[in-house]
Amino acid sequence: MTYVTAIIAFLQGVQWIDLILALQWLFLCYFICINTAYLTLNYISVFSIIGYMRDHRADYLPTNLASYQPPVSILVPAYNEEGSIVSSVHSLLGLEYPEFEIVVINDGSTDNTLDEVIAAFGMVEFPEAYRRRIETAAVRKIYASSRYPRVRLIDKDNGGKADTLNAGINCARYPLFCSIDADCILQPDSLGRVVRPFLEDPTMVAVGGVVRVLNGCTVRNGLMEKVGLPQNYLARFQLVEYLRAFLFGRLGWSPLNALLIISGAFGVFKKERVIAIGGYRSETVGEDMDLVVRLHRNLRREKRPYRITFVPDPICWTEVPTDLKSLKTQRMRWQRGLAESLAPNFAALFDRRGGAVSWLALPFMFTFELLGPVIEVIGYAIMIPLWLLGLIPLQSFLVFLFLSLGLGVLLSTNALFLEELSFQMYPRLGQQVKLFGIAILENFGYRQITSVWRFMAIIKWLFSFSKKSHWGEIARDGSWQRHSGSPEADALSRRDLPTVP
Amino acid sequence: MDILTGSDPKIVLAFWSGVAVAAITCIMLAVIIVMRQVVLRRERIHANAVAFWSAIVIATPVDGVGKIPPLPDRDMTGFLEVWNEVHEPLRGGTTAHLTRVARELGLEERLYNRLSHGRFHTRLVAIIAMGHIQNAESFRRIEKFMDDTNPIVSLCVARALMQIDPDKAISMFVPRIASRSDWSQGSIATILNEAGADRVTRELSEATLQANVDMAPRLIRFLASVSPESAGPIIRNILLASLDGGLISTCLQVMSNPEDLDCVRPLLVHPRWHVRMQAAVTLGRLGVPGDEQLLVAILSDQQWWVRYRAAQALMALGFVNTDGMRRILNSQTDDYARDIIKHVLAEGAMIKVVVTKKATAAA
Repeated sequence: MTYVTAIIAFLQGVQWIDLILALQWLFLCYFICINTAYLTLNYISVFSIIGYMRDHRADYLPTNLASYQPPVSILVPAYNEEGSIVSSVHSLLGLEYPEFEIVVINDGSTDNTLDEVIAAFGMVEFPEAYRRRIETAAVRKIYASSRYPRVRLIDKDNGGKADTLNAGINCARYPLFCSIDADCILQPDSLGRVVRPFLEDPTMVAVGGVVRVLNGCTVRNGLMEKVGLPQNYLARFQLVEYLRAFLFGRLGWSPLNALLIISGAFGVFKKERVIAIGGYRSETVGEDMDLVVRLHRNLRREKRPYRITFVPDPICWTEVPTDLKSLKTQRMRWQRGLAESLAPNFAALFDRRGGAVSWLALPFMFTFELLGPVIEVIGYAIMIPLWLLGLIPLQSFLVFLFLSLGLGVLLSTNALFLEELSFQMYPRLGQQVKLFGIAILENFGYRQITSVWRFMAIIKWLFSFSKKSHWGEIARDGSWQRHSGSPEADALSRRDLPTVP
Repeated sequence: MDILTGSDPKIVLAFWSGVAVAAITCIMLAVIIVMRQVVLRRERIHANAVAFWSAIVIATPVDGVGKIPPLPDRDMTGFLEVWNEVHEPLRGGTTAHLTRVARELGLEERLYNRLSHGRFHTRLVAIIAMGHIQNAESFRRIEKFMDDTNPIVSLCVARALMQIDPDKAISMFVPRIASRSDWSQGSIATILNEAGADRVTRELSEATLQANVDMAPRLIRFLASVSPESAGPIIRNILLASLDGGLISTCLQVMSNPEDLDCVRPLLVHPRWHVRMQAAVTLGRLGVPGDEQLLVAILSDQQWWVRYRAAQALMALGFVNTDGMRRILNSQTDDYARDIIKHVLAEGAMIKVVVTKKATAAA
């Protein structure tokens, strides 16, 4: 007890009081800045989404789009996806789009991914005059389908996701390419919707789409049949998180032409612009964000007029982790990717010619997305012991906790409001009340634990710089899938099924 | 309550901020729930209106109008949507009975009202309806909206004007194509095609000749799709005189007259690779015996796409069959040329297999 008393006496010394006061002000300023920034993004998103819904609510004009829709190469990188790759490709074959090809790239899988694709699509070896426009790990063989002329398969040595996508770009025949994760579900009109901005603006370089949570939904034959809320609480928390991340995290930056992230799960790019910057960078696990940041920098440096935008239509659905281990792996990977994408672009901060990217988006990402978890965890680590030691009055502690949690709930509620303004995927009163409950609950534990994982990811990244892009392995339960027969029959029957509005 | 009387203003401010945030959150939740109920109610009313008026509009006989019930304001948008939808497949056909329905309901005045006071969707369905009514007064009322900054509004107005008075509208629409890069190509093409080649060719040809190199490719595409014959001489002039690679490539993509091939052949050695590539494609499409030698010469081009398209063009020439391709393959010493021929031959064989399988399955 004497030691404890001595420590408390020491901590109660004058210098510590000064330091605590200074820290309190630091946390307070940071807290005000981060919430102001998020709320501002939120209100920009409200205007964006109102404008978007106004213009795209109905097809006012017969657009004769088919003659003008550019052909698209869909790149499906696959590593140990034997369970899902065949149904994914079948689902892609059902896309309603005039001209596209599907390039599956097997990144040296150690399971039966290659054999599954070869058997399911009648792939035969093809003497492709392969162009190595971007350096990649060695390509072993290229196959073409003897049944589906749209499908090709590249078998290559393992090199990570970025390397796999680069091999796909080398093989892509069309001017636009769409990168898609092998475990995502698309709507039949997804490609048409995400390519639309390219038709509306000739300076468009890249377009990202919303990724929504698939858990709790019912999918039949690769097509969304019924949208629902997940049963699992972790998945529910992530649902609200995804709404926040996509509906205001992305939509807020889009009107400023400062969108820095296009999810690797679903995005369309102009191929030549991507090749011009050397394709995806293999030295990062956040290859998707890194690519977009480099596109911005390069295009601004070249003073080319360009747009990188985002479509909020719910068109891509993905299964989120339902166990803590997988969630931890995913979040640490994302945070590491963020750090790896931002670090090489440090020089772009406050670049005179960098526009909103250099003056707003990058500083935001550095200060709030990268350092946010660090500040948050240090905040918990300092404030809670200080309160326990009686160095911070209980009253102050509780009041700031109340304000902090209140703002967290407000931000999530704003995301629900954006959802209500736009697509109303969860229309029942019960669903809305449940989502609001989740928006409150996620602030008690979930938010803190993800911050701790993100903090750990930064620490790990600081001590191991040169890790190559690799594949994140996440346990999936796949309970949303319903099959009615053979994959071929499923693919053919898809068009008769109802679609999500 | 110590907080309220506490001496530290930071704490007091934080407390009241927290209360304000909680209040705003509750208000937002209430707004979400109320909005949902309002939307559901509005959707219900709209669905009822659509169902009710669909039955009436569709049942209206071509040779007369039966008893039409009054149209309440709340049904107006639903009615207009139905009315516009029924018109769409009848464009250019018999719509007099639908116009009589509109007259009975006193639609025009109500549309003018909506034009000036309605919300975005209401205004647009009103503009589309005015196009169907084809009244000169409507033309005067909406023509100013052709310069609306919103591309959807301006294009809907252009389409409506084209229905009301196509000759007058075309002279307003075509010059604007060059300046409105936000107008989608598909919509422009639809409007031009609906107006008909006779009406748009002259205006479009003049605009193409006057356009700068940035806009000319866009216009030449429209002209070629509306009237390939009128586009022919302009394309020929551009191929002979233009220095712009993008414009030449576009002309090559849309040209359809084999008599202009003499302008195409020299482009196989153009410094820009996409011009060489398009020239190869054009020769594949329109070429004559003798052109295969020119295509064989570029099978060793440094650009993959030029080699690939040249090989495909050779396959596309009716007089070069698979055996001919194999002979060309055997005569090549350049590895790049050999690889690309093998690639295209394999592709051709693959397509044949797929076609045969499909034919067998169909049989």
